[in-house]
Amino acid sequence: MKNLKIHTENMYLYYGSKMALNNVSIEIPENKVTALIGPSGCGKSTFLRSLNRMNDLIDSVKIEGNIFIDDINIYDKNIDVVNLRKKVGMVFQKSNPFAKSIFENVAYGPRINGINNNNELTEIVEKSLQNAAIWDEVKDRLHDSALGLSGGQQQRLCIARTLAVNPEVILMDEPASALDPISTSKIEELIVQLKENYTIVIVTHNMQQAARISDDTAFFYLGELIEFGKTKKIFTNPDKKQTEDYITGRFG
Amino acid sequence: MEKYRIFDNELEKLTERVVKMSHLVEEQISNAILALNNYDIELAKHVIENDNKVDKLDVKIDKLCQKIFALQQPVATDLRYIISSLKINNDLERIGDHAVNIAKRIDALSDYTNFSKEFGVDEVANKTVLLYKDVDQLIKTHNLVLASDIFQNAIIIKDSCHKISEKIIEEMMQQKEVIVVATNIMIIVNLIERIASYSTNVAESIIFVVEGKIVKHQKKIEEEID
Repeated sequence: MKNLKIHTENMYLYYGSKMALNNVSIEIPENKVTALIGPSGCGKSTFLRSLNRMNDLIDSVKIEGNIFIDDINIYDKNIDVVNLRKKVGMVFQKSNPFAKSIFENVAYGPRINGINNNNELTEIVEKSLQNAAIWDEVKDRLHDSALGLSGGQQQRLCIARTLAVNPEVILMDEPASALDPISTSKIEELIVQLKENYTIVIVTHNMQQAARISDDTAFFYLGELIEFGKTKKIFTNPDKKQTEDYITGRFG
Repeated sequence: MEKYRIFDNELEKLTERVVKMSHLVEEQISNAILALNNYDIELAKHVIENDNKVDKLDVKIDKLCQKIFALQQPVATDLRYIISSLKINNDLERIGDHAVNIAKRIDALSDYTNFSKEFGVDEVANKTVLLYKDVDQLIKTHNLVLASDIFQNAIIIKDSCHKISEKIIEEMMQQKEVIVVATNIMIIVNLIERIASYSTNVAESIIFVVEGKIVKHQKKIEEEID
């Protein structure tokens, strides 16, 4: 029996009066890659961002229903949002390294969490860069600027930065959409490796990417979760016609 | 939208080719059985010569499927349709080969033209022609009612084939001079049985396209699970 990591119950999200998520209930298993797919504006990124309360930063957002991570309601009044975001890390579409050295980019999170011992920091940086499959490429230039790295390397550095604070869940919002096929394939391999230790939820517009790397796929349309199931089932024999139309490119 | 249009054109082209292949094979079986029942050597030759057309179309369908896989990366129904088209194409080509193999044996029967009729080979052969007509319709319409008809009729045909083979063996044991012709008839009966078998494969592939279910080997699998 697989363990549940994240689950939502009858979740609604509004931007002002506009409903962006409509009664979403989903169960996301631990140590799996879950892909969120759907046309632009379907609510998939909104859903992703609600899993570490990134939507709190938008004033007009109102959320109803429940979102649980490890059976803890993350919208509970007592929840420490900073701790939540440590536990639920995020990687964005556009890599966003700080204008600092490679080392400092990765050490930043642990430092603000109170780790100042240099040996400890060095160990965390090395381990994070190794786990993000970029160590061999940067180990001899850790103190060079992160901005000198290629797009693909910058994105893996951002993944390393996320790993450095020891999260349990990693949210990825189209992490490879701006990368060439070789960098994309490195990120994809990395995602598959990372699921051994982390639960990964990824938004992607690339159907083949969702098919290649995810265990489960959720199809969103107009704020509703239309279908959620095993990726191999969704891509060979989906239950819903809307899912079929979307993944075969016959939408609209 | 561009992908949608090009892709749909490719799928239409594939459908046209598979339907054409099915017609060709239907013609081959009908003619092979007609030649068998009438001992028509000229018609048998025609079947043998026409095999070339079946082979050429077989390769064309394979290549088109490869192209669609490589360039369109099909999923869902499209994926199942192309996988099944490849398998159906393969099965049709085999059925076509068996029609040719029947045609090739007809010449050897000429000294004993009644032998085949005596054992009811013509009857089972005619049933196989009708069976294949259902296969051809199923390929065109995806009407699954035809699929269950095909399964049932194929069982009847296979059963008849086994019974005929047993009778022929008995006959051979009693009359040694018929061994050569009887062996040829046995081979023909076996080829007819194979055509029925490949026909059920096609029906299974169409079920996979329509319903996404793998129904082949079900009985065996259920028995193993039990």
